[in-house]
Amino acid sequence: MTPTLIGRWHTRLILFALIGLPVTLLFALHATNWDYWPPRYDLPAFQYPFYFLTAIVLLGLVLDMAYMQIQRFHWDQDWPFAYQFFFSIVEYLIVYYAVWDGWLDFIFTEFRPTWNDTVYHFSTVFTLSFLALLGGVQIFFIRWRFKGGEFGRL
Amino acid sequence: MPIEISWRRTGATAGGRTVLTGNGPFRMGRSSGNDVALDHPQVSRFHAEVRLDGGRVTIIDQKSQNGTLIAGNRITSAQWREGDDLAIGPFILEYRQTRTAGARDANDPDLQATVLGQADAPRDGPRDARQPAPRDDGSSRFPGPVFNTRIVALRDLQATQKIAEEVDYLTVGGGIGSFCWVDHLRVFGVPTSAIRVIGVAPDRKPYAKWGRLCRNSQIPDTERIRSNSISTPDNIWGFPGYASREFVRDILNGRLVGLKYLLQVFGEPAITESYTPRTGDVYRSFDTEATRIGWDQMWRLGQVVGIRKTDDERFVIAYRMLSTQVGANETADERSQRERFIIARHIHISTGYPASNYLPDLQSFRQKHPNSHAVVNAYEEHDEIYRSLEQKGGTILIRGRGIVASRVIQRVWEARKVNKSIRLLHLVRAPVGAGHKYDLAQRTVRSDVEQQPFNWPKACWGGTLRKQLEAATPEERARLLAAWDGTTTADRDDWNQIIEEGTRDGWYKVSVGNVAAIAEKSGKLVTRLESRDRQENVDLTADFIVDCTGLIARLDETPLIADLIRTYDLPRNRAGATGSEQSLAGLAVANSFEIPGLQNGRGRAFAAGVVASRGPYAAVDSFLGLQYAALRSVDQLAALKAPSVSRFGPFRSAYQWAKWCVGSPP
Repeated sequence: MTPTLIGRWHTRLILFALIGLPVTLLFALHATNWDYWPPRYDLPAFQYPFYFLTAIVLLGLVLDMAYMQIQRFHWDQDWPFAYQFFFSIVEYLIVYYAVWDGWLDFIFTEFRPTWNDTVYHFSTVFTLSFLALLGGVQIFFIRWRFKGGEFGRL
Repeated sequence: MPIEISWRRTGATAGGRTVLTGNGPFRMGRSSGNDVALDHPQVSRFHAEVRLDGGRVTIIDQKSQNGTLIAGNRITSAQWREGDDLAIGPFILEYRQTRTAGARDANDPDLQATVLGQADAPRDGPRDARQPAPRDDGSSRFPGPVFNTRIVALRDLQATQKIAEEVDYLTVGGGIGSFCWVDHLRVFGVPTSAIRVIGVAPDRKPYAKWGRLCRNSQIPDTERIRSNSISTPDNIWGFPGYASREFVRDILNGRLVGLKYLLQVFGEPAITESYTPRTGDVYRSFDTEATRIGWDQMWRLGQVVGIRKTDDERFVIAYRMLSTQVGANETADERSQRERFIIARHIHISTGYPASNYLPDLQSFRQKHPNSHAVVNAYEEHDEIYRSLEQKGGTILIRGRGIVASRVIQRVWEARKVNKSIRLLHLVRAPVGAGHKYDLAQRTVRSDVEQQPFNWPKACWGGTLRKQLEAATPEERARLLAAWDGTTTADRDDWNQIIEEGTRDGWYKVSVGNVAAIAEKSGKLVTRLESRDRQENVDLTADFIVDCTGLIARLDETPLIADLIRTYDLPRNRAGATGSEQSLAGLAVANSFEIPGLQNGRGRAFAAGVVASRGPYAAVDSFLGLQYAALRSVDQLAALKAPSVSRFGPFRSAYQWAKWCVGSPP
């Protein structure tokens, strides 16, 4: 991949909207034992998966600027898939640590999500998003690959 | 009446001329003793005879190996009419009665004493599309006086009764650039009936010329080319890439090695060696997509000889149909029937590389030793050299350090498996030292060559560098391109190992220096290097010399383009430095690859490939670059509301992708 900063942000947000949110909804329903329809938006168990994923996305939007600096050291100004894979997991681990250590208690006021609460959720979102980067996005957006991950016309 | 014969190599503007007085017979051929001496391996020693009888000029082929062609047809004995092209090997000859040879010649800058290699001269079949541009003196040559103007009146064209077709979309070239454009048009919704392709490959293959250059430069079908997995000219989405296709095929055949390709794509280029597809797989993918989009129905076999704007906001393309059916004694009428016009609203020009240059010292050697086949350009057919090395052993000298040199070194390494007495001398002009620097990065150097997975930094195709170049002013573009450019080869483990092995075992040796002279001494080629630091002269003795310095994209060596530049005062891109480099710059194009100087009201013209080099996009001469150019120009057509071109949003895209997957026409 050869993303631009705007491209990273676009791609991150669009994958969040199109893959992250629907998958999180399923996990949130699962966390509330599929008992409620319409869903109980007010229950922390329902809300926290959304908060957790949002925290990763916000962290990612900031880290994207750092990634762009790393790219400048590459002659090809590229971002190998392996890096994408690795840093995605790093982002998860950072947010998980922040939750575990209580830094985010102001968000997770009722309880701190556990490893088991988050790892399957994140793994699912991550796997689907990564597959989208490998080709799924291009099927719908042919200009995306020439725009460093930005959406829209060339 | 005396006649003046002038000649040039296919694609080149430089050539020679001579005046023949009397009745002859005059001799044409490779030997220097001929009246018309044409130095090239494809020309027989005594190739053809010329007889003058009053106003009549007759050509008699002397059972030459590669034949003599008049106006595209192989002849044994035929009348040569003024204005007809006579083709002998890579040379195009024409003549005129000397009374008409006037002042025009005095300031004709084209005819100089340099001769160029013919990267694109087909070995067989009709010669390439590039041939002398229409004359501006109203001679009898097609398309004749009707083209002596910037805007051609439709009525004048109709009067010729030569308008064969009128279409919305037409592409000139018929190569991979044309193919990508047509593929996009088709997938965006345009029917085959609205598109025409004019090209010179008798087999209609979009990869005919590219494949020939691959084979000549020693890339057989099973070898891998320097291109990425997602650079898929048969698939506008770039998915699935060649790596996943190769993976699936290998796994289905029970070969787990296929997993390697996915891992390559995953880690490239930082952790793993970049994936590159096999030439044969690329050929096959072209064939499949060509069938799917109806390529053959749109194809017209012909040489485009001129393009003009029309007075109804379109373009007229003059071309001469090529046919293998036509007999040697074709009448003027029959010949005239093969000369046609096509009128199109939107045109696309992608004629590719006009020629390959020889290094000047090699060129002068070849002129002095016309019979020597031991000095070749790597893009010429030269398999004979490796066969000879395998049989008899010997020393081969390679000039240049790019990707072609790497491949030739590999070929020599393969030949050494047959014959261990082969040695390789690698001559480069100067040591590389440190790699290019840009921003915070520096290009790596290994074995004295700069290494880079592809021919530009990767972000030039669709990343930060693409964006930056597009936004830059012409001056900035020249600076950026100079920073990213340069001769590079790929960091391939097998190539690195060959160099290490050869250096260790002593059969591979690098020399650095400028060439003072090349001489033939008792059957060997002796290259003398300019002495440096008052040291003794260094002589490199070899049996063969292969020039691997590559293809040169001199736009004005494509007569069709040169004529367009002259006629419409088309501006060129800025190449950076002045002088010789400027001739490598392409036509100035907009970000959409439209040629602004050719806009004719609603009629629009686009360029792709080297025709647009050094403009808003660096990697124009690559699969992905050609796809990018096609996408930009077809998007522009959609914005202009050109007939049948959709905006191609996500749903149409996914639907068309599904059609591609099942192989159904768009």
